[in-house]
Amino acid sequence: MLDTTTQPGPVGLSTAPHYAGWIGRAANSGLYRNTIGLLVDSRRVRLAVLAGVPLLWIAMLHIGPILQMANISLLANYPPQPDKSSEYTLANYGLFFSDRLYFLPFVRSLVFAAVVTISTLVIVYPVAYYVAKVVQPKNRMRALLLLLIPFWAGELIRTFSVIMLLANRGALNVLLREFGFIDRPIPMLYTFFSLSFGVIYLLALYMLLPLYSAIEKIPTPLIQAAADLGAGPFQRFRRVILPLSKDGIVSGCSLVYLTAVGVFAAPLLLGGPNSVIFPEVIATLFHGSNDKWPEGAAFSMIMLVVSLTTVGLFMRIVGGRSVRLM
Amino acid sequence: MRTYFNDLPKTALGASYWIFAVYLVLPLALMTAMSFKDANFIAFPIGNWTLSWYGKVVQDKQFLEASLYSIGIALATTISATIIGVWIALLVSAENIWGKAVIFALACLPAVVPGLINAISMRIFIRTVDIPTGTFAIILAHAVHAVPFVVIMVLTRLRSMPANLVDAARDLGADPFIAFLRVTIPYLMPALFGGMIFCVLTSIDDFVRTFFLGGYQPTLPMLIFAKVQGGMSPEINAMATIVLVVTTAIGLYAEHFTRRSRS
Repeated sequence: MLDTTTQPGPVGLSTAPHYAGWIGRAANSGLYRNTIGLLVDSRRVRLAVLAGVPLLWIAMLHIGPILQMANISLLANYPPQPDKSSEYTLANYGLFFSDRLYFLPFVRSLVFAAVVTISTLVIVYPVAYYVAKVVQPKNRMRALLLLLIPFWAGELIRTFSVIMLLANRGALNVLLREFGFIDRPIPMLYTFFSLSFGVIYLLALYMLLPLYSAIEKIPTPLIQAAADLGAGPFQRFRRVILPLSKDGIVSGCSLVYLTAVGVFAAPLLLGGPNSVIFPEVIATLFHGSNDKWPEGAAFSMIMLVVSLTTVGLFMRIVGGRSVRLM
Repeated sequence: MRTYFNDLPKTALGASYWIFAVYLVLPLALMTAMSFKDANFIAFPIGNWTLSWYGKVVQDKQFLEASLYSIGIALATTISATIIGVWIALLVSAENIWGKAVIFALACLPAVVPGLINAISMRIFIRTVDIPTGTFAIILAHAVHAVPFVVIMVLTRLRSMPANLVDAARDLGADPFIAFLRVTIPYLMPALFGGMIFCVLTSIDDFVRTFFLGGYQPTLPMLIFAKVQGGMSPEINAMATIVLVVTTAIGLYAEHFTRRSRS
Protein backbone atom coordinates (compact mmCIF):
# COMPACT_ATOMS: atom_id res chain seq x y z
CA MET A 1 0.00 0.00 0.00
CA LEU A 2 1.45 3.34 -1.01
CA ASP A 3 1.07 6.02 1.66
CA THR A 4 1.96 9.28 -0.04
CA THR A 5 1.84 11.41 3.12
CA THR A 6 4.93 9.74 4.50
CA GLN A 7 6.90 10.39 1.33
CA PRO A 8 7.23 14.12 0.88
CA GLY A 9 10.72 14.32 -0.54
CA PRO A 10 12.73 12.36 -3.08
CA VAL A 11 12.82 8.64 -2.52
CA GLY A 12 15.70 7.57 -0.35
CA LEU A 13 16.76 6.32 3.01
CA SER A 14 15.63 9.40 4.91
CA THR A 15 12.10 8.96 3.67
CA ALA A 16 11.70 5.37 4.78
CA PRO A 17 8.06 4.72 5.62
CA HIS A 18 7.05 4.01 9.17
CA TYR A 19 6.56 0.42 10.04
CA ALA A 20 4.33 -0.94 12.72
CA GLY A 21 5.34 -3.30 15.45
CA TRP A 22 8.80 -4.66 16.19
CA ILE A 23 10.07 -4.02 12.69
CA GLY A 24 9.25 -0.34 13.10
CA ARG A 25 10.88 -0.13 16.50
CA ALA A 26 14.02 -1.86 15.23
CA ALA A 27 14.07 0.20 12.04
CA ASN A 28 14.00 3.45 14.00
CA SER A 29 16.87 2.63 16.32
CA GLY A 30 20.09 4.55 15.75
CA LEU A 31 22.20 1.41 15.52
CA TYR A 32 20.05 0.03 12.74
CA ARG A 33 20.03 3.31 10.81
CA ASN A 34 23.79 3.63 10.99
CA THR A 35 24.35 0.05 9.89
CA ILE A 36 21.92 0.20 7.02
CA GLY A 37 23.34 3.59 6.00
CA LEU A 38 26.76 2.01 5.79
CA LEU A 39 25.30 -0.81 3.72
CA VAL A 40 23.59 1.52 1.28
CA ASP A 41 26.56 3.86 0.92
CA SER A 42 29.44 1.45 0.53
CA ARG A 43 29.58 -1.33 -2.00
CA ARG A 44 32.54 -2.80 -0.18
CA VAL A 45 30.63 -3.15 3.10
CA ARG A 46 27.70 -4.63 1.22
CA LEU A 47 29.93 -7.24 -0.35
CA ALA A 48 31.63 -8.00 2.95
CA VAL A 49 28.29 -8.66 4.66
CA LEU A 50 27.06 -10.74 1.76
CA ALA A 51 30.22 -12.78 1.32
CA GLY A 52 31.70 -12.95 4.81
CA VAL A 53 29.68 -15.65 6.51
CA PRO A 54 29.22 -17.89 3.45
CA LEU A 55 32.88 -17.85 2.50
CA LEU A 56 33.93 -18.48 6.10
CA TRP A 57 31.48 -21.39 6.33
CA ILE A 58 32.61 -22.92 3.06
CA ALA A 59 36.29 -22.50 3.85
CA MET A 60 36.01 -23.75 7.42
CA LEU A 61 33.52 -26.58 7.11
CA HIS A 62 33.47 -27.65 3.48
CA ILE A 63 37.07 -27.36 2.36
CA GLY A 64 38.90 -27.26 5.68
CA PRO A 65 37.96 -30.76 6.87
CA ILE A 66 38.93 -32.33 3.55
CA LEU A 67 42.28 -30.50 3.46
CA GLN A 68 42.92 -31.55 7.05
CA MET A 69 42.06 -35.13 6.09
CA ALA A 70 44.52 -34.93 3.19
CA ASN A 71 47.12 -33.53 5.56
CA ILE A 72 46.71 -36.28 8.15
CA SER A 73 46.77 -38.95 5.45
CA LEU A 74 50.38 -37.95 4.74
CA LEU A 75 51.55 -37.93 8.35
CA ALA A 76 53.77 -40.67 9.70
CA ASN A 77 52.29 -40.44 13.16
CA TYR A 78 49.13 -38.88 14.47
CA PRO A 79 48.34 -37.44 16.95
CA PRO A 80 51.71 -35.65 16.91
CA GLN A 81 53.96 -36.69 19.76
CA PRO A 82 56.23 -34.20 21.48
CA ASP A 83 59.40 -36.25 21.16
CA LYS A 84 58.94 -37.10 17.49
CA SER A 85 58.79 -34.68 14.63
CA SER A 86 55.73 -35.19 12.46
CA GLU A 87 57.16 -36.40 9.20
CA TYR A 88 55.36 -36.59 5.93
CA THR A 89 55.25 -39.95 4.22
CA LEU A 90 53.42 -41.85 1.52
CA ALA A 91 53.47 -45.06 3.56
CA ASN A 92 49.76 -44.83 4.39
CA TYR A 93 48.91 -44.89 0.72
CA GLY A 94 51.46 -47.63 0.11
CA LEU A 95 49.77 -49.81 2.71
CA PHE A 96 46.56 -49.72 0.70
CA PHE A 97 48.16 -51.16 -2.41
CA SER A 98 50.33 -53.69 -0.60
CA ASP A 99 47.61 -55.34 1.44
CA ARG A 100 44.80 -57.32 -0.15
CA LEU A 101 42.82 -56.92 3.05
CA TYR A 102 42.31 -53.29 2.10
CA PHE A 103 42.52 -53.43 -1.67
CA LEU A 104 39.93 -56.17 -2.15
CA PRO A 105 37.06 -54.51 -0.24
CA PHE A 106 37.77 -51.35 -2.20
CA VAL A 107 37.39 -53.10 -5.54
CA ARG A 108 34.32 -54.86 -4.15
CA SER A 109 32.82 -51.51 -3.20
CA LEU A 110 33.37 -50.02 -6.63
CA VAL A 111 31.95 -53.06 -8.41
CA PHE A 112 29.02 -53.15 -6.02
CA ALA A 113 28.28 -49.47 -6.62
CA ALA A 114 28.47 -49.95 -10.38
CA VAL A 115 26.11 -52.96 -10.27
CA VAL A 116 23.67 -51.06 -8.07
CA THR A 117 23.79 -48.01 -10.34
CA ILE A 118 23.14 -49.94 -13.54
CA SER A 119 20.39 -52.04 -11.97
CA THR A 120 18.70 -48.95 -10.56
CA LEU A 121 18.83 -47.25 -13.93
CA VAL A 122 17.28 -50.26 -15.67
CA ILE A 123 14.58 -50.67 -13.03
CA VAL A 124 13.68 -47.01 -12.66
CA TYR A 125 13.83 -45.80 -16.27
CA PRO A 126 10.52 -47.32 -17.44
CA VAL A 127 8.86 -46.17 -14.23
CA ALA A 128 10.08 -42.59 -14.71
CA TYR A 129 9.01 -42.72 -18.34
CA TYR A 130 5.58 -44.01 -17.43
CA VAL A 131 4.97 -41.25 -14.90
CA ALA A 132 6.40 -38.49 -17.09
CA LYS A 133 4.81 -39.39 -20.43
CA VAL A 134 2.06 -41.99 -20.17
CA VAL A 135 0.17 -40.91 -17.05
CA GLN A 136 -2.35 -38.13 -17.69
CA PRO A 137 -0.96 -34.77 -16.48
CA LYS A 138 -3.67 -34.35 -13.88
CA ASN A 139 -2.79 -37.66 -12.22
CA ARG A 140 0.96 -37.23 -12.58
CA MET A 141 1.67 -35.69 -9.19
CA ARG A 142 -0.36 -38.38 -7.47
CA ALA A 143 1.52 -41.12 -9.31
CA LEU A 144 4.81 -39.55 -8.31
CA LEU A 145 3.71 -39.02 -4.73
CA LEU A 146 2.96 -42.71 -4.26
CA LEU A 147 6.60 -43.42 -5.12
CA LEU A 148 7.90 -40.62 -2.91
CA ILE A 149 6.11 -41.67 0.29
CA PRO A 150 8.42 -44.59 1.19
CA PHE A 151 11.46 -42.35 0.93
CA TRP A 152 10.39 -40.20 3.82
CA ALA A 153 10.80 -43.21 6.09
CA GLY A 154 14.55 -42.78 6.23
CA GLU A 155 17.57 -44.93 5.61
CA LEU A 156 17.67 -47.07 8.71
CA ILE A 157 13.99 -47.88 8.92
CA ARG A 158 13.85 -48.86 5.27
CA THR A 159 16.94 -51.02 5.63
CA PHE A 160 15.29 -52.64 8.60
CA SER A 161 12.07 -53.20 6.67
CA VAL A 162 13.97 -55.12 4.00
CA ILE A 163 14.92 -57.60 6.72
CA MET A 164 11.22 -58.33 7.27
CA LEU A 165 10.91 -59.25 3.63
CA LEU A 166 14.04 -61.34 3.12
CA ALA A 167 14.67 -63.06 6.45
CA ASN A 168 14.59 -66.86 6.69
CA ARG A 169 11.17 -66.63 8.25
CA GLY A 170 10.42 -63.43 6.41
CA ALA A 171 7.50 -62.80 4.13
CA LEU A 172 9.09 -63.93 0.89
CA ASN A 173 10.32 -67.29 2.19
CA VAL A 174 7.04 -68.00 3.97
CA LEU A 175 5.12 -67.17 0.82
CA LEU A 176 7.34 -69.39 -1.35
CA ARG A 177 6.89 -72.28 1.06
CA GLU A 178 3.14 -71.82 1.26
CA PHE A 179 2.95 -72.14 -2.50
CA GLY A 180 5.19 -75.18 -2.36
CA PHE A 181 8.07 -73.84 -4.40
CA ILE A 182 10.61 -74.61 -1.69
CA ASP A 183 10.94 -76.99 1.24
CA ARG A 184 13.34 -75.05 3.36
CA PRO A 185 13.92 -71.30 3.33
CA ILE A 186 16.38 -69.85 0.85
CA PRO A 187 18.98 -67.87 2.79
CA MET A 188 18.55 -64.46 1.22
CA LEU A 189 19.58 -62.23 4.08
CA TYR A 190 23.25 -61.37 4.69
CA THR A 191 24.21 -62.02 1.08
CA PHE A 192 25.28 -59.92 -1.85
CA PHE A 193 21.68 -60.19 -3.05
CA SER A 194 20.12 -58.73 0.08
CA LEU A 195 22.70 -55.96 0.15
CA SER A 196 22.04 -54.93 -3.46
CA PHE A 197 18.31 -55.29 -2.95
CA GLY A 198 18.46 -53.04 0.10
CA VAL A 199 20.73 -50.42 -1.43
CA ILE A 200 18.68 -50.21 -4.63
CA TYR A 201 15.66 -49.86 -2.39
CA LEU A 202 17.38 -47.01 -0.54
CA LEU A 203 18.68 -45.11 -3.55
CA ALA A 204 16.01 -45.51 -6.22
CA LEU A 205 14.67 -42.03 -5.55
CA TYR A 206 17.99 -40.43 -6.48
CA MET A 207 17.56 -42.04 -9.88
CA LEU A 208 13.83 -41.45 -10.19
CA LEU A 209 13.75 -37.69 -9.69
CA PRO A 210 16.45 -36.63 -12.20
CA LEU A 211 15.14 -39.12 -14.78
CA TYR A 212 11.57 -37.96 -14.31
CA SER A 213 12.42 -34.29 -14.74
CA ALA A 214 14.59 -34.99 -17.79
CA ILE A 215 12.00 -37.18 -19.52
CA GLU A 216 9.18 -34.80 -18.69
CA LYS A 217 11.03 -32.04 -20.56
CA ILE A 218 11.18 -34.02 -23.82
CA PRO A 219 8.64 -32.41 -26.17
CA THR A 220 5.98 -34.99 -26.96
CA PRO A 221 5.64 -33.73 -30.58
CA LEU A 222 9.21 -34.91 -31.19
CA ILE A 223 8.23 -38.45 -30.25
CA GLN A 224 5.11 -38.17 -32.38
CA ALA A 225 7.14 -36.90 -35.30
CA ALA A 226 9.47 -39.86 -35.02
CA ALA A 227 6.44 -42.15 -35.06
CA ASP A 228 5.00 -40.36 -38.08
CA LEU A 229 8.27 -40.88 -39.89
CA GLY A 230 7.94 -44.58 -39.30
CA ALA A 231 10.07 -45.23 -36.25
CA GLY A 232 8.93 -48.20 -34.21
CA PRO A 233 8.80 -48.12 -30.40
CA PHE A 234 12.36 -49.38 -30.05
CA GLN A 235 13.76 -46.95 -32.60
CA ARG A 236 11.86 -44.04 -31.02
CA PHE A 237 13.38 -44.96 -27.70
CA ARG A 238 16.93 -45.38 -28.97
CA ARG A 239 17.09 -42.43 -31.35
CA VAL A 240 14.85 -39.84 -29.66
CA ILE A 241 13.96 -40.50 -26.05
CA LEU A 242 17.25 -41.91 -24.81
CA PRO A 243 19.50 -39.13 -26.17
CA LEU A 244 17.14 -36.45 -24.92
CA SER A 245 17.04 -37.90 -21.40
CA LYS A 246 20.83 -38.06 -21.21
CA ASP A 247 21.12 -35.30 -18.61
CA GLY A 248 18.77 -37.15 -16.29
CA ILE A 249 20.69 -40.39 -16.76
CA VAL A 250 24.00 -38.69 -16.00
CA SER A 251 22.86 -36.96 -12.83
CA GLY A 252 20.82 -39.95 -11.63
CA CYS A 253 23.71 -42.36 -12.13
CA SER A 254 26.22 -39.98 -10.54
CA LEU A 255 24.07 -39.51 -7.45
CA VAL A 256 23.36 -43.21 -7.03
CA TYR A 257 26.97 -44.23 -7.66
CA LEU A 258 28.45 -41.73 -5.23
CA THR A 259 25.98 -42.68 -2.52
CA ALA A 260 26.37 -46.41 -3.13
CA VAL A 261 30.17 -46.25 -2.83
CA GLY A 262 29.91 -44.77 0.65
CA VAL A 263 26.87 -46.63 1.92
CA PHE A 264 27.51 -47.56 5.52
CA ALA A 265 24.60 -48.70 7.67
CA ALA A 266 23.01 -51.03 5.12
CA PRO A 267 26.06 -53.36 4.77
CA LEU A 268 26.25 -53.66 8.55
CA LEU A 269 22.62 -54.80 8.69
CA LEU A 270 22.13 -56.58 5.36
CA GLY A 271 25.56 -57.69 4.21
CA GLY A 272 27.14 -60.95 5.24
CA PRO A 273 30.74 -61.64 6.27
CA ASN A 274 31.66 -62.07 2.61
CA SER A 275 30.43 -58.65 1.61
CA VAL A 276 32.77 -56.56 3.72
CA ILE A 277 33.00 -53.39 1.73
CA PHE A 278 35.33 -50.45 1.95
CA PRO A 279 33.38 -48.11 4.26
CA GLU A 280 33.47 -50.80 6.95
CA VAL A 281 37.24 -51.08 6.55
CA ILE A 282 37.64 -47.33 6.94
CA ALA A 283 35.30 -47.24 9.91
CA THR A 284 37.31 -49.83 11.84
CA LEU A 285 40.45 -47.74 11.37
CA PHE A 286 38.71 -44.86 13.10
CA HIS A 287 36.80 -46.69 15.76
CA GLY A 288 39.04 -49.56 16.71
CA SER A 289 42.11 -47.75 17.92
CA ASN A 290 42.83 -44.08 17.61
CA ASP A 291 46.34 -44.34 16.23
CA LYS A 292 45.15 -45.62 12.85
CA TRP A 293 43.85 -42.22 11.78
CA PRO A 294 46.52 -41.53 9.14
CA GLU A 295 45.75 -44.83 7.42
CA GLY A 296 42.02 -44.17 7.66
CA ALA A 297 42.46 -40.67 6.26
CA ALA A 298 44.58 -41.99 3.38
CA PHE A 299 41.97 -44.62 2.53
CA SER A 300 39.21 -42.03 2.68
CA MET A 301 41.18 -39.82 0.31
CA ILE A 302 41.62 -42.71 -2.11
CA MET A 303 37.92 -43.44 -1.99
CA LEU A 304 37.01 -39.79 -2.46
CA VAL A 305 39.37 -39.24 -5.37
CA VAL A 306 38.53 -42.49 -7.16
CA SER A 307 34.76 -42.11 -6.82
CA LEU A 308 34.79 -38.46 -7.93
CA THR A 309 37.11 -39.27 -10.84
CA THR A 310 34.87 -42.13 -11.92
CA VAL A 311 31.86 -39.86 -11.95
CA GLY A 312 33.83 -37.15 -13.75
CA LEU A 313 34.93 -39.58 -16.45
CA PHE A 314 31.39 -40.88 -16.77
CA MET A 315 30.09 -37.35 -17.30
CA ARG A 316 32.81 -36.70 -19.85
CA ILE A 317 32.07 -39.89 -21.80
CA VAL A 318 28.28 -39.73 -21.76
CA GLY A 319 28.46 -35.98 -22.06
CA GLY A 320 25.61 -34.58 -20.03
CA ARG A 321 26.04 -30.87 -20.48
CA SER A 322 24.46 -29.51 -17.35
CA VAL A 323 24.35 -31.85 -14.41
CA ARG A 324 21.85 -30.90 -11.80
CA LEU A 325 21.96 -32.67 -8.51
CA MET A 326 18.33 -32.38 -7.59
CA MET B 1 -0.32 -39.33 -28.04
CA ARG B 2 -2.32 -42.42 -27.23
CA THR B 3 -2.57 -43.47 -30.85
CA TYR B 4 1.18 -43.46 -31.29
CA PHE B 5 1.76 -46.21 -28.81
CA ASN B 6 0.74 -49.69 -29.61
CA ASP B 7 -0.66 -51.24 -26.48
CA LEU B 8 2.19 -53.53 -25.58
CA PRO B 9 4.76 -50.94 -24.45
CA LYS B 10 2.14 -48.98 -22.58
CA THR B 11 0.93 -51.99 -20.66
CA ALA B 12 4.50 -52.99 -19.91
CA LEU B 13 5.30 -49.49 -18.69
CA GLY B 14 2.21 -49.45 -16.48
CA ALA B 15 3.14 -52.84 -15.09
CA SER B 16 6.67 -51.67 -14.35
CA TYR B 17 5.25 -48.73 -12.46
CA TRP B 18 2.97 -50.83 -10.30
CA ILE B 19 5.58 -53.49 -9.63
CA PHE B 20 7.98 -50.76 -8.58
CA ALA B 21 5.36 -49.15 -6.34
CA VAL B 22 4.67 -52.49 -4.64
CA TYR B 23 8.42 -53.04 -4.27
CA LEU B 24 8.69 -49.70 -2.48
CA VAL B 25 5.68 -50.08 -0.22
CA LEU B 26 5.73 -53.81 0.57
CA PRO B 27 8.71 -53.95 2.99
CA LEU B 28 7.34 -51.04 4.98
CA ALA B 29 3.87 -52.59 5.06
CA LEU B 30 5.34 -55.87 6.30
CA MET B 31 7.30 -54.05 8.96
CA THR B 32 4.16 -52.31 10.13
CA ALA B 33 2.20 -55.54 10.14
CA MET B 34 4.89 -57.21 12.21
CA SER B 35 4.59 -54.58 14.90
CA PHE B 36 1.13 -55.98 15.70
CA LYS B 37 2.36 -59.55 16.13
CA ASP B 38 1.51 -61.16 19.43
CA ALA B 39 4.74 -63.03 20.04
CA ASN B 40 8.26 -62.29 21.16
CA PHE B 41 9.99 -63.09 17.91
CA ILE B 42 9.91 -61.77 14.38
CA ALA B 43 8.61 -64.33 11.89
CA PHE B 44 5.78 -64.78 9.48
CA PRO B 45 2.95 -65.67 9.48
CA ILE B 46 1.40 -63.47 12.14
CA GLY B 47 -0.86 -65.59 14.34
CA ASN B 48 -2.47 -63.24 16.80
CA TRP B 49 -2.54 -59.49 16.67
CA THR B 50 -1.85 -57.14 19.55
CA LEU B 51 -1.24 -53.51 20.34
CA SER B 52 0.94 -54.26 23.34
CA TRP B 53 4.23 -53.47 21.57
CA TYR B 54 3.08 -49.92 21.06
CA GLY B 55 2.30 -49.68 24.76
CA LYS B 56 5.83 -50.86 25.49
CA VAL B 57 7.37 -48.34 23.11
CA VAL B 58 5.38 -45.42 24.47
CA GLN B 59 6.65 -46.24 27.95
CA ASP B 60 10.20 -46.86 26.79
CA LYS B 61 12.27 -44.09 28.36
CA GLN B 62 15.21 -44.69 26.01
CA PHE B 63 12.98 -44.26 22.99
CA LEU B 64 11.43 -41.04 24.28
CA GLU B 65 14.79 -39.57 25.22
CA ALA B 66 16.33 -40.48 21.88
CA SER B 67 13.33 -39.01 20.06
CA LEU B 68 13.56 -35.72 21.91
CA TYR B 69 17.31 -35.61 21.38
CA SER B 70 16.89 -36.25 17.65
CA ILE B 71 14.17 -33.62 17.34
CA GLY B 72 16.31 -31.06 19.14
CA ILE B 73 19.26 -31.77 16.87
CA ALA B 74 17.00 -31.59 13.82
CA LEU B 75 15.65 -28.18 14.82
CA ALA B 76 19.10 -26.74 15.52
CA THR B 77 20.35 -28.20 12.23
CA THR B 78 17.42 -26.73 10.34
CA ILE B 79 17.82 -23.24 11.74
CA SER B 80 21.55 -23.03 11.13
CA ALA B 81 21.47 -24.73 7.72
CA THR B 82 18.62 -22.49 6.53
CA ILE B 83 20.37 -19.27 7.56
CA ILE B 84 23.70 -20.27 6.01
CA GLY B 85 22.01 -21.77 2.95
CA VAL B 86 19.99 -18.65 2.18
CA TRP B 87 23.08 -16.54 2.76
CA ILE B 88 25.12 -18.60 0.30
CA ALA B 89 22.28 -18.56 -2.24
CA LEU B 90 22.08 -14.77 -2.02
CA LEU B 91 25.83 -14.52 -2.51
CA VAL B 92 25.74 -16.80 -5.55
CA SER B 93 22.78 -14.97 -7.06
CA ALA B 94 24.26 -11.50 -6.43
CA GLU B 95 25.35 -9.57 -9.48
CA ASN B 96 28.90 -8.58 -10.28
CA ILE B 97 30.63 -11.06 -8.07
CA TRP B 98 33.72 -12.79 -9.26
CA GLY B 99 33.94 -16.58 -9.13
CA LYS B 100 30.26 -17.33 -8.58
CA ALA B 101 30.49 -20.70 -10.28
CA VAL B 102 33.39 -21.70 -8.05
CA ILE B 103 31.56 -20.62 -4.90
CA PHE B 104 28.49 -22.55 -5.99
CA ALA B 105 30.51 -25.67 -6.76
CA LEU B 106 32.25 -25.50 -3.39
CA ALA B 107 28.96 -24.86 -1.60
CA CYS B 108 27.57 -28.03 -3.16
CA LEU B 109 30.62 -30.12 -2.27
CA PRO B 110 29.09 -31.91 0.75
CA ALA B 111 26.18 -33.08 -1.38
CA VAL B 112 28.57 -34.83 -3.76
CA VAL B 113 31.09 -36.21 -1.29
CA PRO B 114 29.98 -39.63 0.00
CA GLY B 115 28.42 -39.41 3.46
CA LEU B 116 31.07 -41.58 5.06
CA ILE B 117 33.91 -39.34 3.83
CA ASN B 118 31.95 -36.35 5.01
CA ALA B 119 31.57 -37.87 8.45
CA ILE B 120 35.23 -38.86 8.74
CA SER B 121 36.59 -35.53 7.57
CA MET B 122 34.30 -33.78 10.07
CA ARG B 123 35.54 -36.12 12.79
CA ILE B 124 39.13 -35.23 11.97
CA PHE B 125 38.21 -31.57 11.78
CA ILE B 126 36.46 -31.34 15.14
CA ARG B 127 39.41 -32.98 16.80
CA THR B 128 41.76 -30.49 15.13
CA VAL B 129 39.82 -27.51 16.43
CA ASP B 130 39.11 -29.22 19.76
CA ILE B 131 35.36 -29.63 19.59
CA PRO B 132 34.33 -32.70 21.58
CA THR B 133 32.16 -35.36 19.98
CA GLY B 134 28.55 -34.93 20.98
CA THR B 135 25.58 -32.69 20.37
CA PHE B 136 27.36 -29.68 18.88
CA ALA B 137 29.52 -31.80 16.59
CA ILE B 138 26.45 -33.69 15.35
CA ILE B 139 24.57 -30.47 14.61
CA LEU B 140 27.57 -29.08 12.77
CA ALA B 141 27.92 -32.17 10.58
CA HIS B 142 24.19 -32.38 9.87
CA ALA B 143 24.13 -28.70 8.92
CA VAL B 144 27.14 -29.10 6.62
CA HIS B 145 25.26 -31.89 4.85
CA ALA B 146 21.97 -29.98 4.65
CA VAL B 147 23.27 -26.61 3.46
CA PRO B 148 23.79 -27.55 -0.23
CA PHE B 149 20.19 -28.68 -0.56
CA VAL B 150 18.88 -25.44 0.92
CA VAL B 151 21.18 -23.52 -1.43
CA ILE B 152 19.91 -25.40 -4.48
CA MET B 153 16.23 -25.02 -3.55
CA VAL B 154 16.53 -21.33 -2.68
CA LEU B 155 18.59 -20.56 -5.79
CA THR B 156 16.00 -22.18 -8.04
CA ARG B 157 13.33 -20.01 -6.49
CA LEU B 158 15.51 -16.87 -6.58
CA ARG B 159 16.11 -17.34 -10.29
CA SER B 160 12.37 -17.24 -10.94
CA MET B 161 11.94 -14.07 -8.88
CA PRO B 162 11.11 -11.00 -10.99
CA ALA B 163 14.11 -8.68 -10.72
CA ASN B 164 12.00 -5.57 -10.31
CA LEU B 165 10.20 -6.71 -7.14
CA VAL B 166 13.00 -5.56 -4.87
CA ASP B 167 13.56 -2.46 -6.99
CA ALA B 168 9.90 -1.54 -6.55
CA ALA B 169 10.19 -1.96 -2.80
CA ARG B 170 13.30 0.22 -2.76
CA ASP B 171 11.55 2.88 -4.85
CA LEU B 172 8.72 2.87 -2.36
CA GLY B 173 11.20 3.69 0.36
CA ALA B 174 12.22 0.38 1.87
CA ASP B 175 15.87 0.09 2.76
CA PRO B 176 17.74 -3.03 1.55
CA PHE B 177 17.19 -4.97 4.74
CA ILE B 178 13.49 -4.17 4.97
CA ALA B 179 13.12 -5.03 1.29
CA PHE B 180 14.84 -8.34 1.96
CA LEU B 181 12.63 -9.02 4.96
CA ARG B 182 9.32 -7.97 3.42
CA VAL B 183 9.78 -8.94 -0.24
CA THR B 184 12.55 -11.49 -0.77
CA ILE B 185 11.86 -13.72 2.24
CA PRO B 186 8.10 -14.01 1.58
CA TYR B 187 8.83 -14.80 -2.06
CA LEU B 188 11.32 -17.50 -1.00
CA MET B 189 8.92 -19.00 1.53
CA PRO B 190 7.88 -22.14 -0.43
CA ALA B 191 11.51 -22.99 -1.17
CA LEU B 192 12.52 -22.18 2.39
CA PHE B 193 9.79 -24.35 3.80
CA GLY B 194 10.68 -27.21 1.50
CA GLY B 195 14.33 -26.85 2.40
CA MET B 196 13.57 -26.79 6.12
CA ILE B 197 11.47 -29.93 5.97
CA PHE B 198 14.28 -31.56 4.03
CA CYS B 199 16.75 -30.53 6.75
CA VAL B 200 14.53 -31.96 9.48
CA LEU B 201 14.03 -35.26 7.67
CA THR B 202 17.70 -35.80 6.77
CA SER B 203 18.84 -34.84 10.24
CA ILE B 204 16.40 -37.20 11.98
CA ASP B 205 17.41 -39.93 9.55
CA ASP B 206 21.17 -39.45 9.53
CA PHE B 207 23.09 -42.40 10.83
CA VAL B 208 26.62 -42.29 9.46
CA ARG B 209 27.49 -38.77 10.61
CA THR B 210 25.96 -39.33 14.02
CA PHE B 211 27.85 -42.62 14.28
CA PHE B 212 31.20 -40.89 13.88
CA LEU B 213 30.45 -37.64 15.70
CA GLY B 214 28.03 -38.66 18.41
CA GLY B 215 28.77 -38.92 22.10
CA TYR B 216 27.22 -41.41 24.47
CA GLN B 217 23.67 -40.16 24.15
CA PRO B 218 22.01 -42.06 21.29
CA THR B 219 19.91 -40.37 18.64
CA LEU B 220 16.89 -42.17 17.23
CA PRO B 221 18.74 -43.92 14.36
CA MET B 222 21.55 -44.93 16.70
CA LEU B 223 19.04 -46.41 19.14
CA ILE B 224 17.22 -48.33 16.42
CA PHE B 225 20.53 -49.54 14.99
CA ALA B 226 21.69 -50.75 18.40
CA LYS B 227 18.37 -52.52 18.96
CA VAL B 228 18.42 -54.19 15.56
CA GLN B 229 21.96 -55.44 16.16
CA GLY B 230 21.08 -56.56 19.67
CA GLY B 231 18.36 -58.91 18.49
CA MET B 232 15.03 -58.52 16.79
CA SER B 233 11.75 -58.04 18.54
CA PRO B 234 8.41 -56.63 17.40
CA GLU B 235 9.11 -53.72 19.73
CA ILE B 236 11.62 -52.41 17.17
CA ASN B 237 8.93 -52.71 14.51
CA ALA B 238 6.54 -50.67 16.62
CA MET B 239 9.24 -48.06 17.19
CA ALA B 240 10.10 -47.91 13.50
CA THR B 241 6.43 -47.73 12.56
CA ILE B 242 5.87 -44.74 14.83
CA VAL B 243 8.88 -42.96 13.27
CA LEU B 244 7.67 -43.95 9.80
CA VAL B 245 4.20 -42.51 10.36
CA VAL B 246 5.52 -39.26 11.84
CA THR B 247 8.15 -38.62 9.16
CA THR B 248 5.73 -39.51 6.37
CA ALA B 249 3.18 -37.10 7.81
CA ILE B 250 5.80 -34.35 7.88
CA GLY B 251 6.79 -35.13 4.29
CA LEU B 252 3.20 -35.22 3.06
CA TYR B 253 2.42 -31.93 4.75
CA ALA B 254 5.46 -30.33 3.15
CA GLU B 255 4.47 -31.70 -0.24
CA HIS B 256 0.93 -30.39 0.22
CA PHE B 257 2.24 -26.98 1.29
CA THR B 258 4.74 -26.55 -1.50
CA ARG B 259 2.31 -27.74 -4.15
CA ARG B 260 -0.41 -25.35 -2.97
CA SER B 261 2.00 -22.44 -2.98
CA ARG B 262 3.24 -23.39 -6.43
CA SER B 263 -0.20 -23.13 -8.02
